[in-house]
Amino acid sequence: MFLVHLWNYIRGYVIIIVTGRGIERFINICSKRQILLWDIERADAASATMKASIRGFRLMRPAAKKSGCRVHIKKRCGLPFFLYRFKRRKGFKVGLVIFSALLMLSVSIIWDIEVIGCKPEMIPEIMSVLNADNIGRGSFKIKLDPKIIAKKIALNVEQIAWVGVEVRGVKLFITIKDSIEPPVLIKNDEAFNIVAERDGLVKKMEVYAGTPQIKEGETVRKGQVLVSGRLESKNPEFGSRDVHALGKIIARTWYEESMPVSMVYTQKLKTGKIHKTVYFRFLDRRFKISGGDVPFEMYETVTEDKMVTGPFGLKLPIGLTVENSSEVVEKQVELTLDEAIDVTIEKAKENLHKRIPADSTVVDEMIKQYEADNGTIYIQVVYECEEDIAGLEPVTEK
Amino acid sequence: MKRGIYRIKGARDKKKEPGESLGERLARLFEIPGEICGNRPKVTAIGRGEVLIENFKGIMDFQSDMIRINTNNGIIKVTGEGLTIREITNDEIIIGGKISNIDYDA
Repeated sequence: MFLVHLWNYIRGYVIIIVTGRGIERFINICSKRQILLWDIERADAASATMKASIRGFRLMRPAAKKSGCRVHIKKRCGLPFFLYRFKRRKGFKVGLVIFSALLMLSVSIIWDIEVIGCKPEMIPEIMSVLNADNIGRGSFKIKLDPKIIAKKIALNVEQIAWVGVEVRGVKLFITIKDSIEPPVLIKNDEAFNIVAERDGLVKKMEVYAGTPQIKEGETVRKGQVLVSGRLESKNPEFGSRDVHALGKIIARTWYEESMPVSMVYTQKLKTGKIHKTVYFRFLDRRFKISGGDVPFEMYETVTEDKMVTGPFGLKLPIGLTVENSSEVVEKQVELTLDEAIDVTIEKAKENLHKRIPADSTVVDEMIKQYEADNGTIYIQVVYECEEDIAGLEPVTEK
Repeated sequence: MKRGIYRIKGARDKKKEPGESLGERLARLFEIPGEICGNRPKVTAIGRGEVLIENFKGIMDFQSDMIRINTNNGIIKVTGEGLTIREITNDEIIIGGKISNIDYDA
């Protein structure tokens, strides 16, 4: 019954009052002409109220004439009449169109990206792969091909065994199964010597297997055998045996960097001119609002995000991104000798830090200053480090 | 002679129900429900509040305490309180309200 009511409501109906003597005749004619009437109630001796569909009401006129009844509409009910009210309201229609467009748009984009099943430190790497492809929150679902994304992630991120990419609703799920790298195997059945990886002064030796060839405190050259993998027996009659030499050789090593001191220093100076570019930001997408291309040759950019915060600390996905680009001019500055030396030392240290291996610790640093024949001053920075210089080399038959 | 004819006719009339057509007799022979073959009314009362009459010809009288409906088997009168016609189509009428009587030939 509910369905019938709903159907009637959707189609629209009218409640009418029929007055006259021949109401029965009116009802009979209507039923013969396939005009559906329902909920007929006798109001008094000369009138009755009933409900009829819109189509039925239009066809009712001959029936009313034949039976000599008058038909009045008491009430119009249903969806068509309800919608008719909005027919003339332009704003309502526009709003309806905008609403449905926004709804479609918001449903067809990615609102959130979830990475499941990997170590937290891998997430930035995965995100950078996505960013390189311009995939982020706010990109359209249609443009995404999960298979291609999965392939890209699997290729570009190390230590991944399997990647599953799935778009579920407005969320992008990236499921990752990371692989564990096999440990470095020590091949015990092959013979190896320990050789020096670089020049140094041996401070400490811990030999687990093999015959030490040097003592603590000796200076070694690069490539020199430190621990031999050949075990000689005390009694020469028994011959020798080859083993895999193992051990730690902690040695002092030195790294040096020399640089000429230049009295002229190129300094980056801000001119004070600032170019502002404002973007409207929605999720991870940016739309430029004001400010064209940056008119400077060299500039530094500071980006600032201003996201709209709703009530109760709710973070909304819309906001502004302001890029302040300040012009930079390179200027040659004359320095005093002290300043120049300081600058050179800083540069030399920077270069050194790039060269020093990661597992070594800096123990001491020395700064020397000397003058060449042509009058240029050189700065030499020496870093003294401690590190394990043990390297492996197969035992060769002699 | 005349009497005999009368008697024969009378005998026939007794056997045959009034208004029983060939189709209806066939229907009875093959045990088909009567309302399908022929146009005899089918009255269904559901509880006290609803009466459904199929195969009706038209309404003759409609008051809030009495509704008279014309059918092929005569007039059916439904009396009660606050009677309404819930729905009316070409061959079906649903009467609602508090029903007290359903009378034939009234």
